[in-house]
Amino acid sequence: MAAADTPSATTLRRRDLCSRGIRLARKMRSDVADLLDIYVERQGLDASVSVAAVEGVPAAAAEHWSEQTGTQRLLDNLAAYRAFRALLAQMLEEQREQLGDADAALGRALAAVLLQVSAFAYHLEELLELESRRPPGDDGDGPPAPPRLSLFEQKLRGLGVLRELAQWAVRSVRDLRQLARPGPGPSSAPGVAEGQ
Amino acid sequence: DSHIQYERVGADVTMKCGSMDWDAAVTWTANGTDIDDSHLNGSYLILKNVDLTQSGQYSCYEGSSWHLKYQTYLRVGTPPKEPVLMCRSNNYPKGFYCSWHLPSPTYIPNSFNISVIHGTREMVCEKDIFPKNRCHIRYLQLFSTVKYKVTLTVTNALGKNSTSLTFDEFAIVKPDPPESVVAKPVPNNPRRLEVAWQNPSSWPDPESFPLKFFLRYRPLILDQWQHVELSDGTSHTITDAYAGKEYIIQVAAKDNDIGTWSDWSVAVHATPWTEEPKHLTTEAQITETTSTSTSSFVPPPTTKICDKGAVVGSGAVAVCWTAGLVLAAYGVLFI
Repeated sequence: MAAADTPSATTLRRRDLCSRGIRLARKMRSDVADLLDIYVERQGLDASVSVAAVEGVPAAAAEHWSEQTGTQRLLDNLAAYRAFRALLAQMLEEQREQLGDADAALGRALAAVLLQVSAFAYHLEELLELESRRPPGDDGDGPPAPPRLSLFEQKLRGLGVLRELAQWAVRSVRDLRQLARPGPGPSSAPGVAEGQ
Repeated sequence: DSHIQYERVGADVTMKCGSMDWDAAVTWTANGTDIDDSHLNGSYLILKNVDLTQSGQYSCYEGSSWHLKYQTYLRVGTPPKEPVLMCRSNNYPKGFYCSWHLPSPTYIPNSFNISVIHGTREMVCEKDIFPKNRCHIRYLQLFSTVKYKVTLTVTNALGKNSTSLTFDEFAIVKPDPPESVVAKPVPNNPRRLEVAWQNPSSWPDPESFPLKFFLRYRPLILDQWQHVELSDGTSHTITDAYAGKEYIIQVAAKDNDIGTWSDWSVAVHATPWTEEPKHLTTEAQITETTSTSTSSFVPPPTTKICDKGAVVGSGAVAVCWTAGLVLAAYGVLFI
């Protein structure tokens, strides 16, 4: 009886990875919030400005979120963070072109978040491998290059990227918590929850 | 011919007696009481600068026959002021509710219409049966960066007014306070209190969306609160309570990642465990010496806690050292 109650090594490893992933996501969220403040100030934007959905930026919004399988959650998260990795690299490049070394603080903050996004993507790959799923190939190219934008459009796009990343950080905490819950396994569909 | 007539406070009101000519002889009554002719202009009733007390039933009778020719119910009121609207999610991630009220009464019936827009999508806010001034919405999406815009319009016969709120999904998340808070002393521990509580029953999925808690406590005799934030669990042991002092304790809750703190829970009171006072020795003289000690405590005549050799003093004032010390200690406590 005791053996039946003992979590398997895979389960324990999953919980450990999820727990660490949650901590990573929380730290990332906190740093993205700080980065947003710096970005808005340095780019001369109004913090309350609305930004329309930006092409190529993975939206965190999910319908039927509670019905997703664990594997689907991991795949969605991985795709999102790989996209953010490319988007942030692009923003860093644009920021260097526009401001050079004149704004080191913004550059450093962008670079720090980029590093965390990369680390989180790697963490998600580990989780997927644990589920015996090979992570989808990462061609590293990211989303297709957007049409050449004006400086102002670039700034707004950057704002949209960071806001969506902040939202993803919260979603990732929820996703990983769902994944860590005891249950039939990440590939199985969860029970349909009431409402969401 | 009877109907309802709505007029603003302060307005001048003219009532015609149905189809009667201006020069017809009529009698007007207000709630069955005759109205003085000074308020009449021919057969018209003139009410100047109406106030709330003038609401009521007005009837007009033909002069000689007393046939009822016209009747109206006058309702004096005001157009609505800008309503007060609030929206909150106490059951995340299921949905949220919005509730509203008017800052001052209009004294006439009002109707409320609420619209909720999320991006380009219009959502239905289902009205609650009780309370009437509330409706709720189910989330169709989670983790959206698109804001919600809620517009409330209040309309009555004298005018309309509206207000809007725009907010993020996360910003309005505020759980209800924790429930069933209990606090009890810990046996043989004069500085501890065990506090336990439950998640608010309105929070639908605390496993997937865990709450963290904030506990505050103070002895009744002090104004300053002590605070403890707890990231998991629904219990806590206070270990620095003042011995023997009654405490007041409250708990608040918040989603671990988003939103704001709940209101404080209902307060509970508890006093840490204290040792039962031991009964003192009963020399007959001790019971006669209470007037000379600082304590009003009178020991029962059964328990001995000192030897005769330790008695100090003589006669009616004799006490033993130990009893004297105990008496002095209790005397300080009971002041």
